[in-house]
Amino acid sequence: MIQADKLRHLPERFPVACQWEITCRCNLQCVMCYTDCFNRPEFVRQELTTSEILRIMDQLTEAGTLELCLTGGEPMARTDFFDIYDHAIRSGFLVTVFTNGTLMTEAHADRFAALLPHRIEISLHGATQETFERITQGRGSHDRCLQAIRLLLDRNIPLALKTTAMTLNQHEIIAIKRYVASLGSVGYKLGEEMRPELDGGAGPFHYSLSEQELTALNRQDDDLWAESCQQKSVDPSPCRSGMQRFHIDAYGQLQLCSGNRTHSYDLRAGSFREGFFEALPTYGCPWKAPAVSEQIQPTVHHA
Amino acid sequence: MTPSTIYSKNPDFVQRDVAGECILVPIRRTLTEANSIYVLNETGAALWNRIDGASPIQKIVSGFAEEYDTTEEQLGRDFEALLADLLLIHAVEEVATAHDPSR
Repeated sequence: MIQADKLRHLPERFPVACQWEITCRCNLQCVMCYTDCFNRPEFVRQELTTSEILRIMDQLTEAGTLELCLTGGEPMARTDFFDIYDHAIRSGFLVTVFTNGTLMTEAHADRFAALLPHRIEISLHGATQETFERITQGRGSHDRCLQAIRLLLDRNIPLALKTTAMTLNQHEIIAIKRYVASLGSVGYKLGEEMRPELDGGAGPFHYSLSEQELTALNRQDDDLWAESCQQKSVDPSPCRSGMQRFHIDAYGQLQLCSGNRTHSYDLRAGSFREGFFEALPTYGCPWKAPAVSEQIQPTVHHA
Repeated sequence: MTPSTIYSKNPDFVQRDVAGECILVPIRRTLTEANSIYVLNETGAALWNRIDGASPIQKIVSGFAEEYDTTEEQLGRDFEALLADLLLIHAVEEVATAHDPSR
């Protein structure tokens, strides 16, 4: 028997890891969010029900999916979140939860401690209350986020914090990073990518940093600078989405990844196996190099 | 471990079949095993599947040897090593010792 943190010998194409945007609901309205445009009752009513999610999840289990990331919106904004989470853990998924943390209570933290996630990742977009809440547009959200971090750390729950770098918080990134370092064994990720809103809106790009601003930011910290230099020094590897990773949106649409939703397979109407093994390989992606695989058709590009 | 010992599986370990590999995922983890999964080889998986909380080891080994045309001696050694690993991570526990009519 071998103890491992992940499987080493997998087929080139196999549905190992799923990122599942289980809702676009959210209690906050972050200025750069790309899903909040669908955080409206008429869209929420169309989201997958609990039973639909559990049915699809069982199909992922049967197909061999091991890693499951529950994201949103704010996944904990779903009143059935722990029905979904508990089912995922008891099915044997390695579950990661992306959350803003602001809905976390002691009782929630106890439930996470009872059935431990692979990791919880909390978005921490500001070091000060002023900056944090200017981004989240939620009064009291900074204190609630910090409280969630404490609740999870008190219970030794694997935790990572992450920040999206933008015009509103670029002056606080280093302070955030120092705060995370002070917490001990907590991971940190700095994201630089802004995405258009799901309805095509360009709102998030109003907060994008220029190349010069990103360089100036990364130069302030050895780790950030080393990472930035490394990213620029190597050719970007071909996109592997759809090979071992895939995405499901809040309405049950199976897609190559959360950043490429041009083509979808409806999991409400068909099976996951058919979607992953027959439909996804026909979906194109402009970031896929032609030689990435014979098992997916990168030459089919989106209009 | 004796041939008449009976083991049961800990329900806090979920068995998954991922790309033909049998893995055990602990759903209530301690810090020492945080984020670990356990991969069983083919023999290990077959033996794991026979641990049922009712059958003594000897019966499992005998049945397995008949089915797979291998010696009980070799299987006994493999099973002993697997059980030691499984006991270490609390994936199985000893529940009883079967009555041995020869004694």
